[in-house]
Amino acid sequence: MPSNISSFHRRHMLRAGGAGMLGLTLPKLLQADEQQGQGRTPGRAKSVIFLFQWGGPSHVDTFDMKPEAPDGYRSLYRTVSTSVPGMHVCEHLPETAKVMHRFAQLRTVHHTMNNHNSAGYTALTGVEPLVDDQRLRESLDLFPGYGSVVDAVAPGVSGMPTCVSYPYQIADGSVTPGQRASFLGKQHDPLFFKDDPNDRDFRLSQLSLPADISLDRLGSRRGLQQIINQQSRELDASSAARGLNAYYDRALEMLNSNRVREAFDLSSEPEMLREAYGRTTYGQSCLLARRLVEHGVKFVTVYFAPSIGGRSRTDGGWDTHGFDNTRMYEILPEWHLPVTDHTLPVLINDLSERGLLDETLVIWMGEFGRTPKINANISRDHWPKCYTVLMAGGGVQGGAVYGASDKYGAVPDRDPVTTGDLAATMYYAMGIDHNIELRDNLNRPLPIARGRAVTEIFS
Amino acid sequence: MRYSVLTIVFLILSHSAGTSRVSAGDVPSFRNDVMAVLSRSGCSLGTCHGNQNGKGGLKLSLRGQDPEADFVTLTRSLGARRVNVMSPDDSLLLKKPVMEVPHEGGRRFRAGSEEYRVLRDWIAAGMPADGDSAVRLVRLTVEPTEVTLYSPQASLRLNARAEYSDGSVRDVGDRVVFESSNPAVGVTVNGEVQFPESRSARQTSVTVRYLQQQVVSRLDYVPERPGFEFTAPAPANVIDELVFAQLQRLRINPSEICDDVTFVRRIYLDVTGSIPTGVQAKEFVQSTDPDKRARLIDRLLDSPEYVDFQTLRWADLLRVEDKTLDSKGVEVFHHWIRESLAADKPLHQFAAEIVGARGSTYAEPPANFYRALRTPEERSEATAQVFLGVRLQCARCHNHPFDQWTQDDYYGWTGFFARVDYKILENRRRDTNDTHEFDGEQIVFMKSSGEVKNPTTGRTVKPRFPDSQMVHAAVKGARGVVVEDGDRLLLLSEWFGQGESSRFAATQANRIWSQLNGQGIVDPIDDFRSTNPPSNPALLEAITREFVAAGYRIRPLMRLILNSRTWQLSSRANGTNEDDATMCSHVIPRRLTAEQTLDAMSQALDVSIRYGGYPEGTRAVQLAGVRNGGHRYSRPEAGDRFLALFGKPGRLLTCECERTAETTLAQTMEMVGGSVVSELVQKSGNRIHRTLQSSELTGEFLSDFWWSALSREISAEELRAFREHVDSSADRRKALEDVVWSVLNSNEFLLRR
Repeated sequence: MPSNISSFHRRHMLRAGGAGMLGLTLPKLLQADEQQGQGRTPGRAKSVIFLFQWGGPSHVDTFDMKPEAPDGYRSLYRTVSTSVPGMHVCEHLPETAKVMHRFAQLRTVHHTMNNHNSAGYTALTGVEPLVDDQRLRESLDLFPGYGSVVDAVAPGVSGMPTCVSYPYQIADGSVTPGQRASFLGKQHDPLFFKDDPNDRDFRLSQLSLPADISLDRLGSRRGLQQIINQQSRELDASSAARGLNAYYDRALEMLNSNRVREAFDLSSEPEMLREAYGRTTYGQSCLLARRLVEHGVKFVTVYFAPSIGGRSRTDGGWDTHGFDNTRMYEILPEWHLPVTDHTLPVLINDLSERGLLDETLVIWMGEFGRTPKINANISRDHWPKCYTVLMAGGGVQGGAVYGASDKYGAVPDRDPVTTGDLAATMYYAMGIDHNIELRDNLNRPLPIARGRAVTEIFS
Repeated sequence: MRYSVLTIVFLILSHSAGTSRVSAGDVPSFRNDVMAVLSRSGCSLGTCHGNQNGKGGLKLSLRGQDPEADFVTLTRSLGARRVNVMSPDDSLLLKKPVMEVPHEGGRRFRAGSEEYRVLRDWIAAGMPADGDSAVRLVRLTVEPTEVTLYSPQASLRLNARAEYSDGSVRDVGDRVVFESSNPAVGVTVNGEVQFPESRSARQTSVTVRYLQQQVVSRLDYVPERPGFEFTAPAPANVIDELVFAQLQRLRINPSEICDDVTFVRRIYLDVTGSIPTGVQAKEFVQSTDPDKRARLIDRLLDSPEYVDFQTLRWADLLRVEDKTLDSKGVEVFHHWIRESLAADKPLHQFAAEIVGARGSTYAEPPANFYRALRTPEERSEATAQVFLGVRLQCARCHNHPFDQWTQDDYYGWTGFFARVDYKILENRRRDTNDTHEFDGEQIVFMKSSGEVKNPTTGRTVKPRFPDSQMVHAAVKGARGVVVEDGDRLLLLSEWFGQGESSRFAATQANRIWSQLNGQGIVDPIDDFRSTNPPSNPALLEAITREFVAAGYRIRPLMRLILNSRTWQLSSRANGTNEDDATMCSHVIPRRLTAEQTLDAMSQALDVSIRYGGYPEGTRAVQLAGVRNGGHRYSRPEAGDRFLALFGKPGRLLTCECERTAETTLAQTMEMVGGSVVSELVQKSGNRIHRTLQSSELTGEFLSDFWWSALSREISAEELRAFREHVDSSADRRKALEDVVWSVLNSNEFLLRR
């Protein structure tokens, strides 16, 4: 053990806006490490809200600004100071700046996937595919998404679905893998819906009956169905039939459930709060995420956009290459940054005011960052070698910064974090042993995360 | 009493065995002793230090498959802190497993045990590596290899022996790992298999692993059944003889033969993929012809619907899918498969034409097989899985942990596929970033050079036929033969179907069996290996023989199976067979497939369903490709989405396992009130609409609908209840919708029994 410890300090120095900010002294760090060694995880997070920024936000224009970098690298945006002394973020995130003391930043997340679908899969599962290829498609030999893994190894007990994903299914040409249960089986798929929470009469079509079928009518149908089932006792007793019946019971229970109905009923939120979150699909989706977590959903995935986007000032994802004579620096302040700045701090504060933040881990990340060097279109291209991920709540030490990129934001300078480490960190926060193994279609044992939990960011 | 006497004998045996060392002198051999102890103590399991991440800072190779790496790990890494030569007993490698210091994995053995002594003596000797002269394992055997235990005997000790390169033979009961395939049946670390108290027969296979070898012992346990008398229908053919013989040995009675109503629905679903129409069902049930079952079997095997359904299954396996093959490729490949199956082309010829295919993917349809498989590894894995029933994927990165395949074998096999190449004549793909999409003609051809490399050794590997241990008795003279020249794929394609016990024939016969019985004799059907033995070896041999004798054709074997009493058994269990799930003593109900469900609903209601890109009236089993993937072609219709939801495969894998049969909440919500079911029930022109516009009486409608949807007469109880529901309702249409809904959602409708 002793030989291990000194190297541990060298490698895992934790930087915050000031070390005092964290109140972390070396003995405390040691203690944290010992606790991990004995297999205990603090496990304060009951739920995760995973805000997935499809398209790949620029880390060097948002949370890992490099004002000292030379021309051609340096962001065209200015920085503003934040609630963490010495920490700066982009000038177009003024409200977010006020809650940075709630977030831990992982500044050195990296992988090797340069294409949206392979990188997206990596970010949504913590597993790199064999090839970095846009051709990557959903198939049963790929790894399941985080929510489905949680449903398989630590399902919720609240009567609510364990994992819910909305308001889009993301795709770039093909549907991006990593959004569903893959080899775990469809029963572990998230409850996936594409209804827009910002619609005036938003309701969950999948958990609603057609207009002409009342619950009473459904009840009487179920009665008739059971008369037929009783005709063949041996069939009714078979495990296949018992399985079907259990699902009919569950479906009717959900349709009848006030809890489920309430969880999705955004109209019961005060107008003021709905406005505060922003009357956008993303804003209302985040508000819904808070309601779902409150009602016991364990893993909520909110997709920022259905497509990689990057050329529009009114919709789409973060893929701002500057193609078609568009310009990243003009687009971000009109769409991505204001939507983010309107919603993200409100979500954090709302969770905090309700006492939910301590038991809810919020993760904000894209599939990669963007090139440190500004391209010919005065925009930036894909960059998976180093980018920033935000985490808040669930026992995470607010204001912490783990790892550091080099002076361009190009590569990790210190304490690199893999996507496998991210996965391990998330499970650590949820109190799930990340060495638990799943069996794939070929019966191969695969750990749910391949990496090391970044325990240093937990208080 | 008898048990404890046996135990004493075991103890004596294991004690005497425990004193032998595999190596010369007193120093244990790293490879033969130390590695064996680590495996045996569970250290290198995937759940412990064999995990991809290791555990607690120590990472060993999975199940000890890489002794060289483990040697370095144990002796060198971290300044050799795990071993202490000066004071062996203070080594972490000993203190952890005996729990002298905390060990998350608990106590693995005790101080002073044989395991302890092996590790201690090896450390004390300075942790020597095995020299070139160290003896090597040649052969591992287990006794008995097959045994049936009759109650009250419920346990048995297995004997493991190893033969070494110096000719010595030793009892290695204290070196091997024993694993039982049936979790309900225990096996101790010393190889004592223990069946629990049980009212029904149980089977298990115990895998015995030592170093890189593994052998299997099959054990059956038969409980006492006072007064048991075997009763079974008279065997109709060899299948029944072998199935019933096994059941008799295990004191299980098969169920009775199913009734006509069950039979007619079952055979239509299994052979044509559809339920019978009301007229077909009624005619069959009411017929008094004593040979009516055999006649219907013949008729359906000759029907175009049989061909549609069989084509669907092969199109799944051969990845007939729009995005990669493009719509013309899908059309020609599907058509070629259909024609081949309609003609009942011998399957070894079918396979040879596919594996040897080349030329334009438009003009030479089977060349589309390679169009979907772009790398040598994908081609070799797919070919092995479909045609040889082997899952090679594990051996791509390391030696297969549960089979004989080494990584070198993998690349030897993959070498056959190294020279496939493509000329892309045109590609009209819409998304230039999407290298998976091909729209346009391609030419598959053979390059004159090109080899594969084993990434671990970095060496080029020549194509090499798998040896007999991997593919038993495969080809006369071809085993283990390295191919130096000639057209590799033509050589390979000739290799299929030689010799009646070839793996190819067994794989195909087992697949046909599984299509009709819901599971293979070897199951999963593409996972043949010594550690996954057949549930009835004689039966597998027999159907393989029959398949070969009938010229590798599907129909004759199907006819044999369908005419067997075994296939025609009822799902009603009796007191002796209710716990059996693998020995064919009765039929186990299962959910209809996606296509079967949707076609059955469409047929019962007389409403056609739309699928993107196909003409109105196309049935789900007739769809050539898959279009559930997204927006790039015609939008998927509700029908396409329904099929995906219920488990129609995307055809991205060459594995039957891609088609899923699980039940989900989302499926149930679709059946309860989803768009497809609602539309079927409400669509103008459907069966409800027709009765509303006619003078048909409620009773007539009910009786007719029961025949067309459930293939049977409505019962008196049902007639009373449903007539009352309709007659007492103010809205007749709504009431009929309720009736139809409840039929479509009934177990009888959704399950095949």
